[in-house]
Amino acid sequence: MVGTKISTNGLFSFLAGILFVVMALPAAQAQALSCKVAPNDIPINLMYNGATLTITGVSAPGDDLIVKVSSETTDVHLKYKGKASGLFWMKMGGMEFKNVPNIYMLYSTGSIDTLLNADGRTANMIGYDAIRAGVEMERSDGTEVEAKWFEEFLKFKKTEELYLSKEGSIVRKQGATDNTYSLTVDWPFQAPPATYTVDVLAVRDGKVVDKSSAPFTVAQAGIVKQLSGMAFNNSALYGFVAVVIAMVAGFAVGAVFKGGGSH
Amino acid sequence: MFMYLPIALTSVNYMVVMGLGLFVGLLSGLFGVGGGFLMTPLLMMIGIPPTIAAATDANQIVAASASGTLAHWRLGNVDFKMGLYLLVGGFMGGAGGVQVIKILRATGGADFLIKMTYVVMLGLVGAFMFVESLNAMRKNKATAGGAPEAAPVKKSGGLLSKLPMQTVFEKSGVTHSAILPVALGTFVGVLAAIMGVGGGFLMVPVMIYMLRMPMHVVVGTSLFQIMFTCTEVTFLQAYSNHTVDFLLALLLLVGSVFGAQIGTILGRKLQGEQLKILLSILVLAVTVKIILELVMEPTLLLAYAGGH
Repeated sequence: MVGTKISTNGLFSFLAGILFVVMALPAAQAQALSCKVAPNDIPINLMYNGATLTITGVSAPGDDLIVKVSSETTDVHLKYKGKASGLFWMKMGGMEFKNVPNIYMLYSTGSIDTLLNADGRTANMIGYDAIRAGVEMERSDGTEVEAKWFEEFLKFKKTEELYLSKEGSIVRKQGATDNTYSLTVDWPFQAPPATYTVDVLAVRDGKVVDKSSAPFTVAQAGIVKQLSGMAFNNSALYGFVAVVIAMVAGFAVGAVFKGGGSH
Repeated sequence: MFMYLPIALTSVNYMVVMGLGLFVGLLSGLFGVGGGFLMTPLLMMIGIPPTIAAATDANQIVAASASGTLAHWRLGNVDFKMGLYLLVGGFMGGAGGVQVIKILRATGGADFLIKMTYVVMLGLVGAFMFVESLNAMRKNKATAGGAPEAAPVKKSGGLLSKLPMQTVFEKSGVTHSAILPVALGTFVGVLAAIMGVGGGFLMVPVMIYMLRMPMHVVVGTSLFQIMFTCTEVTFLQAYSNHTVDFLLALLLLVGSVFGAQIGTILGRKLQGEQLKILLSILVLAVTVKIILELVMEPTLLLAYAGGH
């Protein structure tokens, strides 16, 4: 009797388990980290003044998220200012910052220092300290570059709106079967034409547990592309046209003002 | 309201840019200066890279000076003969100045020289014009009411009158050796090339005080000369350095060509001394701005390469 009871209970538990797994399966599939960026292509046309990027995807409900929008690392050449003759501020020479991204925008669901451990931040280039760890700085005259110049580099990039770090702007929706996130990014017009990457990291207990990424392209289009191409590939014609149009415009307006401009 | 500039790689509010063009064009028509010494820093303030700002400015000055030259020509205010002599000197001086800068860039002393030339030349020219105009206005007040004197043809004095190739410049009512305007044009050309500007603010005082030309002819002749100088600069910058942003120039020139016409009309309502004192105040204000930039620590210690 007892055995039958156990057997019935066991069967019930077994069926309930299967039912739970079957019901939970779509939810588990949806929780695999994904990332989608829209639009994929940003055309720089005549009226371009930056764009709005929408980054969306699915993530596990318990994980925190870090979203990085960046370019490939490159060498950035700038001029540094100093005091000449101990009196006048002016550009003193060149300074190169090697192995840094030209664009770096970081968004997270919390403080990145608490979300991810130091090794994880360095390995995935998360946070300004991770960029600092990989940068090489060189002065044109070969003299040593003090650490303070990296702070100046960050200040310069932030002023240019090319570097940004923001907490809390990722919107998450957690439903019974579906855990989504979305992020709206104001893409700066200062970002040059290139292919950029959105990297999304799911983090748990200070470690990266999942990654997803999506590329998008910013490219010149229409008259902007044509003028740029002419300026670099047919510069003599470009210079000639620039001069002729300016002169014709000047004389034309001069002619229009004939009545008011002369006695 | 925004437009993307394909060479400057930046987006600008086109109403602001056209407004800048109108303002500088107005000064151009009023004083006979190209306005490069004013426009380039203004463009940099709205985010245009320095090299693009300087080169594109030259492009829009072509339009403003063409518009202004036509207006002044109709008023009979252009001394083409004097303008051509100054132009010959200006081209030679410009070529020489570019070489000086090349040598100094190689030795690392260019930036210092450029800044110092700006401060010294703008300061000297501004202060001299201010004092001289103030004295002239006082003198005019004192002699007001007297019978107007007939304007005699002015001649170079002392050693200058002994130079060969003495030429009468009828339109300006002066007689000088042809060597004088060519030499002065060369001098201004060298300085203009070092400073990266058209040189109108230097050429105007040179015409007034050294060539003794009347103010109304100075403005028209200066614009005529600037038109050619900036044509050369625009073409060379576009051809060699790809730094002319035609769309930016177009926006600027829409404003500047109208500004130049308004400036010419306004100029006719003002006396020569009033014009000179206004220009001197403007030049002194720019000098003070440059001095402050030199002595005060900048907010950003890093900058893009290029420009001053």
